[in-house]
Amino acid sequence: MRRREFLGLIAPSVLVMGGLLVLPLYRTVEWSLQRVNYGEAGTFVGLDNYSAALSDPRLGRAVLFTVGLTAVVVATLIVGGYLLAVMVNGLGRSKPFVLGFLLISYVVPNIVGATMFSWLFDANFGGVVNHLVSTLTGHEVLWFIDPWPNRLVIALDTIWFMLPFSMLVIIAGLQGVPAEVIEASRIDGASTFRTHWSVIIPSIRGVLGFVAIISIMDVLRTFDQLVPLSPQATQIGNESIMLYIYNVAFQDGGQQLGLGSAINVLLILLIVILLYPFIRGIAKEARQA
Amino acid sequence: MPQPRTTVVRALATTISAALLLTACGAGSRTSSSTAAQVDCDFPAPSKATSVNVLAYNSSAIDPFTNTMVKSCSKNQVTVKHEPIDFAGQVQKTTATLAGDTGTYDVVETYGFIIPKYAGEQKLRPLDEYVAEFDQEYGLSDINKAMRQAMSYDGKLYGLPMQAQMYVMAYRKDVFESLGLKPPTTFAELRDVAGKIQQAGQIKYPVALPLLASSDIATAYDSALGSLGVDYVDATTMTPNFDKPEAAKAFDELRSLAPFMDPQVTTFDQPRVQQQMYNGSAAVAIMFSGRMNDLTQASNSKFSQQFGFAPPPSVAGGDVLYNTLSVDGWSIPTNAAADPKMLFEMIASSVSADASKASVPAAYPARDGIVTPGSSPYAEAAQVSIGKAPPAEPHPWTSRISNDTRTVVADVVLGNTPVAEGTAQMQQIAAKILAEYKK
Repeated sequence: MRRREFLGLIAPSVLVMGGLLVLPLYRTVEWSLQRVNYGEAGTFVGLDNYSAALSDPRLGRAVLFTVGLTAVVVATLIVGGYLLAVMVNGLGRSKPFVLGFLLISYVVPNIVGATMFSWLFDANFGGVVNHLVSTLTGHEVLWFIDPWPNRLVIALDTIWFMLPFSMLVIIAGLQGVPAEVIEASRIDGASTFRTHWSVIIPSIRGVLGFVAIISIMDVLRTFDQLVPLSPQATQIGNESIMLYIYNVAFQDGGQQLGLGSAINVLLILLIVILLYPFIRGIAKEARQA
Repeated sequence: MPQPRTTVVRALATTISAALLLTACGAGSRTSSSTAAQVDCDFPAPSKATSVNVLAYNSSAIDPFTNTMVKSCSKNQVTVKHEPIDFAGQVQKTTATLAGDTGTYDVVETYGFIIPKYAGEQKLRPLDEYVAEFDQEYGLSDINKAMRQAMSYDGKLYGLPMQAQMYVMAYRKDVFESLGLKPPTTFAELRDVAGKIQQAGQIKYPVALPLLASSDIATAYDSALGSLGVDYVDATTMTPNFDKPEAAKAFDELRSLAPFMDPQVTTFDQPRVQQQMYNGSAAVAIMFSGRMNDLTQASNSKFSQQFGFAPPPSVAGGDVLYNTLSVDGWSIPTNAAADPKMLFEMIASSVSADASKASVPAAYPARDGIVTPGSSPYAEAAQVSIGKAPPAEPHPWTSRISNDTRTVVADVVLGNTPVAEGTAQMQQIAAKILAEYKK
């Protein structure tokens, strides 16, 4: 390939990445060191924003909640996505219809889906799940103001929303596992569980790593579903990092853009730390291939 | 078997058709025009095609004025555009559009609470010269003087009033009559009435208030404090009043209603309180008047004919009610690109006598004489309520103190923070904000 062709082909990507990724990242880091109001040049304040962010107990609670939610949801997405993928992969002619049906929750806008999901637990709007739980247990569960029931609702909604993605990617991985390898394991007398655990799962480790990476990034950025699902998130310790950033930087016309940027930089660092083992594993696998 | 190329062409055609169909659905005004009146909007045609962007949140009380402007002033090469948005979105976009030398919006919906802040920062254009010029044409002298005052700062008018909202109490007449109860006039009576309804066993949580911890709770606390005769700040000495006994009493009184409200009330905004009334899970609600017309619609609730309306109670007796008077109006940003005179004619036409009449009963227009006791089932209650609201605090620090103390208010109402500790925190937050204005 000629140099000019190469440059012509990569130039659009470089421009888009520069405009949408590098420039905002640079501006975020720059603002994190400034006091910034809309429409005005920032004033350099050194590490004051980082100091303010790290001394706010709300940030600690937000990190704890977000990381906990990420751990539970990602683990469920991988296990649940795998089981669902195996079941759907085994279907015959009905597979496209079942797949299409299962993908509905993924294509519904997150905020709309979360609002509808909240109604399942809200007595004001019928609250089918709330009614069932109250009838079965004899207790009125306060889904929106008690921290743990609310965390359960948030986790269930996030899993409901993201499970189809996980399932879809894992199905693609399953279809790449050679049939003769599975057949050989059965001839060797491996049980179904053993075949999955020792043959199929190691074969699609890269795919599972990919699902983990994307899911971790998505759940760490949990934001819009908390608006309908946790209206009292700040008071009950269910404020995600993104919601905390929004509340600090923008709510009610607030203008703490410098502080918001500093928390954003800290969030980026957190994402990098949590993704490092997965990225390292995938890179290692790619080198071996 | 179809060729791959044919399939691609078909898919492309389907996609383009669907996109065209969807965009056609959204063409023209993006808000419902069912509440729009056709009024005179007689500005001279500009020399070139012009777009006027209007920022106004959607509610049944604001929509009639916005829709009238869009419908009546889109002419003479001018297109008036309004995108649907909620109140929180409007608040954010107002901050952003007023920030720089150029803004996205030419007309913004404002309210008395934020006028001092933005007017003090010279972000809004004074309207007095235009009022004088177009008074005759649009009958602007008939706009209520007190409401003009509420949209003024430092003696100048920065927002042309369109309508006012004040708290009104809605109650279930059938429930009250069956138990021989009268609408409460104080919080003590409200507790008494609510207790009797609870004892009757029909309704478990009879009282419904919008106390959403991330929003409405600050207004509720301000209303309670105002009813006790105390402002956030003593404006003459510029010292916060959260160390006064009334600041603690306001919390105690709000918390005293907790046994009669849904345990999850701090997650309820006004639409959710409406929903409680619609489905019969509450018997008394106190909300802004703009929400009352919805209660009277048979399509919303089987109890629509059973709702009675009264002024809200006072917290501890006396003439000042548990209330907040909010005047809404139109402002022209200093950085608006379009001709300000033309923009003023647009906003003046949208609050003209005809437009104001058409907005009743959904709204309480700012013009004198439009709302009469017979205008709507809640008009009489609204008229009493507006005359007994706590005075406004037209200062640039008011909205900042309200915003920055809201989390503390929520923590105290929820019982996470003791009252004394909460008021001390609020005193500290407010003092810090006021220090900026003392410089």
